[in-house]
Amino acid sequence: MDLIIYENIIDICAICMLVITVMAVMSTYMRKLIQLFAIHSLFLAVLAFVVAFYTDNSHIYITFTLTLVLKVLLIPRFLDYTVERIHVDKEVRSPISTPGSLLICTVLIFAGYLVADPMTESLTTLGRNCLAISLSIVFIGLYMMASRANALSESIGLLLTENGLFLGTMTISYGMPLIVEFGVFFDIIIAVVIIGIFAYRINRTFNSIDTSYMRRLRD
Amino acid sequence: MIGTAVACVQAVMMIAIAPLITGIVRKFKAWMQHRTGADILQPYRELAKLFRKDETVSESTSWLFRAIPYVCFATMTLIAFMIPFFFTGIAAPYGDLIALVYIFTLYRFCMVLGGLEGGSSFGGMGSSRELMMSVLIEPSLLLTLMTLCVLSGAGTDISGVPEMLMSMGVLAFGPALLLAAASFVITVVAENARIPFDNPDTHLELTMVHEGMLLEYSGRSLALMEFSSMMRLVIFMTMLGTLFFPWGISTSVEPLHLLVGFAAIMLKLMVMSFALALLESSSTKFRLFKMPNLLTASFVLALLAIISLYIL
Repeated sequence: MDLIIYENIIDICAICMLVITVMAVMSTYMRKLIQLFAIHSLFLAVLAFVVAFYTDNSHIYITFTLTLVLKVLLIPRFLDYTVERIHVDKEVRSPISTPGSLLICTVLIFAGYLVADPMTESLTTLGRNCLAISLSIVFIGLYMMASRANALSESIGLLLTENGLFLGTMTISYGMPLIVEFGVFFDIIIAVVIIGIFAYRINRTFNSIDTSYMRRLRD
Repeated sequence: MIGTAVACVQAVMMIAIAPLITGIVRKFKAWMQHRTGADILQPYRELAKLFRKDETVSESTSWLFRAIPYVCFATMTLIAFMIPFFFTGIAAPYGDLIALVYIFTLYRFCMVLGGLEGGSSFGGMGSSRELMMSVLIEPSLLLTLMTLCVLSGAGTDISGVPEMLMSMGVLAFGPALLLAAASFVITVVAENARIPFDNPDTHLELTMVHEGMLLEYSGRSLALMEFSSMMRLVIFMTMLGTLFFPWGISTSVEPLHLLVGFAAIMLKLMVMSFALALLESSSTKFRLFKMPNLLTASFVLALLAIISLYIL
């Protein structure tokens, strides 16, 4: 009975992360995207906490704390600060219409399910079913990076992809070894700082953070 | 035998409280906007006034124009008899969830024809917009209801869904149900022409959808049309309260259980009216061309719900 409740909570968190990823594909406002990323990470943190509580594994508690502090609080703050500095709040152009993007997302979710389905049968962990969801989140994040023209929303796509990977490791092997996780978290911080600085520089050089302008560099 | 009698009583009760619920939503909205607002019984008075008034019908219309209000009222009455309110038995057990969706479509189709019959430009505009929304609403409504069928294992049997869901206990309260409910909430708001999609309070906006189709109606016909759209609101809320979250509904005809079921559904209706009023007071109406975004999102949610049954 207890196991069912744990699995239900994990499933609900994972599905909420998927829904938020789809919402991120829909929205074009930078601040809203950043908020969505914060909520996305919050669900990941809750999921990590449930897994940690169930397995009674101290290093997952550390992952949970790091996720909460870095991804829910610090990174969104820093991105907000970047948005404030470059005065860009809305992405104007989007090459693919919103309904079109949503339909592509459903195709990607199906693809994630098809890829994950043969693998999940041999797994015995608590949230093994969430592998399909984590793959879908990774795919949708990659799609977002490919389809958006704005440097900041591309970075949000990267962060969502990263959250999807964490969800995957959390559910199929109860997280990575601690040293790897520290490395990944460090990578994310550096990536976000670089994205922030780059967005500022791109904005100063081109008067816009639309990355399609950068094609002109080729002459 | 007693079961059928109780089922009839609950259907009549659902029809009778329809204007009351509309009145309550209006009252909540008025409070949120710091107004006193009209009495919650005001919709009954409006309907009574309209029923007493004479009817004016344009010369360019055919018999269809006069027949349509009765068809609309009949479809909604039929649906009221088809879905459970506070007791899982129903008085008209011949239809299933698929038929339910298409009876709603029949209602909408008739309303659209009525809008076109008047020959006014507003009616035509409202009709074409309504059809555009209808195309997007219908698949997500069908998918959410199918999710319920698969999740509960009751098939398309309407009164079976709440019984099976309740017997599943905690297991039912999973991602599939939540996603389906989220999708259904968007459908409820869109289908009942509430604020992010349409403004129910005014006839003056050029953006109107639902009211545009009713412009040519007057007197008793208008009363019937208004009454059936009030019934539609209650029916959708009841579907959310009894099919998606059935906890509290009575499965037997014992008086105590029925009383508990009645209290539960009234509480759910109050909560939903409050939520609807909150939504309408806190959001702005969408531009017409942004409506497909939200409706596609509702479709994606419904699709996710039905996929998650197989993934998870």
